[in-house]
Amino acid sequence: MNRLALRPLPIAAGICLVALFAAGCGTSDDAPAGAKKMAFTLTDAGCEPNSAKAPAGPINFEVENAGTSKVTELEVLDGETILGEVENLSDGLSGSFSLTLEKGEYTLYCPGGDEEKGTLAVSGELKAENSPEVEAAIAQYRKYLEQNTAALVAATEPFVAAVVAGNAAKARLLYPAARIPYERIEPVAESFGTLDPRIDARENDVPASEFEGFHRIEKALWGGSTAGLKPVVIGSTAGMAPVAKQLLADVEELQARVKNVELQAVQIANGANELLGEVSASKITGEEERYSHTDLVDFEANVEGAEVAFEAVEPLLSEKDPELAKEIEASFEDVYASLEPYRRGNGFVSYTDLSKADTRKLAQEIDALAEELSQVPAQIVG
Amino acid sequence: MTELTRRRLLASAGVGAAGIGLGGVGGYLVGSESAEADDGTGSVPFYGEHQAGIATPAQDRLHFAAFDLVDPSPSALRDLLREWSAAAAEMTAGQMVGDVNDMQLAPPDDTGETVGLLPSRLTVTFGFGPSLFERRGLGLAGKRPAALRDIPPLPADELNEGESGGDICVQACSDDPQVAFHAVRNLARIGRGTVVMRWSHLGFGRTASTSRSQETPRNLMGFKDGTANIKAEDGEAMDRFVWVGGEGPAWMRGGTYMVTRRIRMLLEIWDRSALADQEETIGRDKYKGAPLGGSEEFEALDLEAEQGGKPVIPVDAHVRLASASANGGERILRRGYSFTDGVDESLGELEAGLFFICFQRDPESQFVAIQRRLGSSDALNEYIKHVGSAVFAVPPGARSGGYVGETLLG
Repeated sequence: MNRLALRPLPIAAGICLVALFAAGCGTSDDAPAGAKKMAFTLTDAGCEPNSAKAPAGPINFEVENAGTSKVTELEVLDGETILGEVENLSDGLSGSFSLTLEKGEYTLYCPGGDEEKGTLAVSGELKAENSPEVEAAIAQYRKYLEQNTAALVAATEPFVAAVVAGNAAKARLLYPAARIPYERIEPVAESFGTLDPRIDARENDVPASEFEGFHRIEKALWGGSTAGLKPVVIGSTAGMAPVAKQLLADVEELQARVKNVELQAVQIANGANELLGEVSASKITGEEERYSHTDLVDFEANVEGAEVAFEAVEPLLSEKDPELAKEIEASFEDVYASLEPYRRGNGFVSYTDLSKADTRKLAQEIDALAEELSQVPAQIVG
Repeated sequence: MTELTRRRLLASAGVGAAGIGLGGVGGYLVGSESAEADDGTGSVPFYGEHQAGIATPAQDRLHFAAFDLVDPSPSALRDLLREWSAAAAEMTAGQMVGDVNDMQLAPPDDTGETVGLLPSRLTVTFGFGPSLFERRGLGLAGKRPAALRDIPPLPADELNEGESGGDICVQACSDDPQVAFHAVRNLARIGRGTVVMRWSHLGFGRTASTSRSQETPRNLMGFKDGTANIKAEDGEAMDRFVWVGGEGPAWMRGGTYMVTRRIRMLLEIWDRSALADQEETIGRDKYKGAPLGGSEEFEALDLEAEQGGKPVIPVDAHVRLASASANGGERILRRGYSFTDGVDESLGELEAGLFFICFQRDPESQFVAIQRRLGSSDALNEYIKHVGSAVFAVPPGARSGGYVGETLLG
């Protein structure tokens, strides 16, 4: 459970933020592709027209002086803040500037005119135009997302079948593998409201009556004891068939829904951070898989998911800060290396075999990587 | 000796008074200054209608301890509370504890680390946990107030038994950390043989303002905390939400109930989350303290405001879920402190967070109800864990010469 992921970035602060995607902040001579053109004339009366409407998005303001010596300038303001302007347009001259505006009421200001102030009403939702590089990052991550939701369904099917058939031993064997694809893409799953809690809530995350999904079954299979007692003796599938069937329906729903999920480069980068936050908060502490103690399996899956998310946006980062990109690559290697001593066959040692010194070392490697990774979103926007 | 203030002892005995620059303060009279003064000279009366340390403007430092009775008997408990009250009254007045402090062959009654220190608005507040009423041999089972029940399991709990519960609590608050520490240490010493310390916490900075005269402090997440707290000047709110009235057993009238929660903050994760995420998690501007969409700290929350079809204050923002309007008008008096307690052994991360303390008339309908809402959907849960929990009945204050708990045991 991790709720922050993929929360859309607020654009409150941000005419500038959004404008940077398209045309730079403030004035620009280059009209962004697909910008709406709006023509204004400077006259003795002021701005002409002095009342205009436009859809949210990039707008190219084309301003011409039609023979006035009183007015030589047009500004667009949000409250008191000048967002863009063209100045020193004497008789016969023209100029332009571009802005990306979100919904709101803006002021057109032509100082010196009979009526200096007018209004520009912008309506509708803003759609950021992505560069080809950003589109490529999103496409790469989307592919990973779809691969993993498919793998999740494929791995959950035999697990659920074993639970429904009452074969607890087999279900215990299949459980860790079913967790991996989910843990790789968890931040996206969390953007679908109650779907994540239904699939992945831990016992104290939700009211008892709503405790279902993987961890409800985990608890039954390992006998409900957190102390690492003998699951073979006390664990069972009793009562779990309906829970397992619902789990399969839920992961199938997830697979269907990610096909239409909207992604932004910044969200992908944030998702990588969230995955490492997950590692710190619930895997290194042994809280995620408190009955099966397969936390290190999830640990590795979270890190893999973070790495793929990072790699998707890495070209965007490398343009701005190649040094940071290299450091992050190296830190990922360090984290993988720190996991190696605990690898056994296809999986890892039980969490209960880790000493405090072991978990401490792992936690500090993750913190070092995560601190660097947290710098990425701001870099790839700005 | 009991009448001697700690400062006067130095002056009259000449023990290095000049050396510590106190020569001119020898005649300093405790209580001659305002009780409110936070420059060290203020002293808060121990005796009164209500115990001090609740409506008192929150001091900067805390030392909190929970004790368990060793070998419960009514007379031992009565004696303990009598001695504790007397010692607390002395300490809050800036006097030394006890009267054997200068016999060469006897250990001094007072441990001595506050000699030369000002009263620093020390308050000592006592409370009784539900387990006290279950203790065999005390005969208190029938006197347990209905409102005093263990806090039920709450969503997002990760409680540690060793940091929860307790028969009796002592909350010592002061503007000087050594004065607060001294209070708990001396009370523990007085109680030796009768009680043992179960757990204790140091709080290094207040995280709530309980008076309009105080600036709202920041918690360790860097946000102003407790802006909407009940202020002690608001007598009507204090009577409505904090002080027990006619509803409780008679012995609790004028008292209140205290809930404490040790809340570990996952600061490493918090520190690497983007400013926008931090502000949406709390629901306030980090620097100004204004609610999102507003411009002033004390502005009312606009829970209806929307931008681009989404609420300006997110549905899972902490301020929204904790607000009185989201909780059927229920409020609590918060009086918590930031703590840090070394390094988490298994994570190598800072063991730090909020030692949350709140006062209310009825924990079930106030703290528990609010926490149930917060626990299941608060955005902040991503960054915190509740690791300790306790509840105490805080009896009314003692009259001069009496003791706290007299209404229960007297």
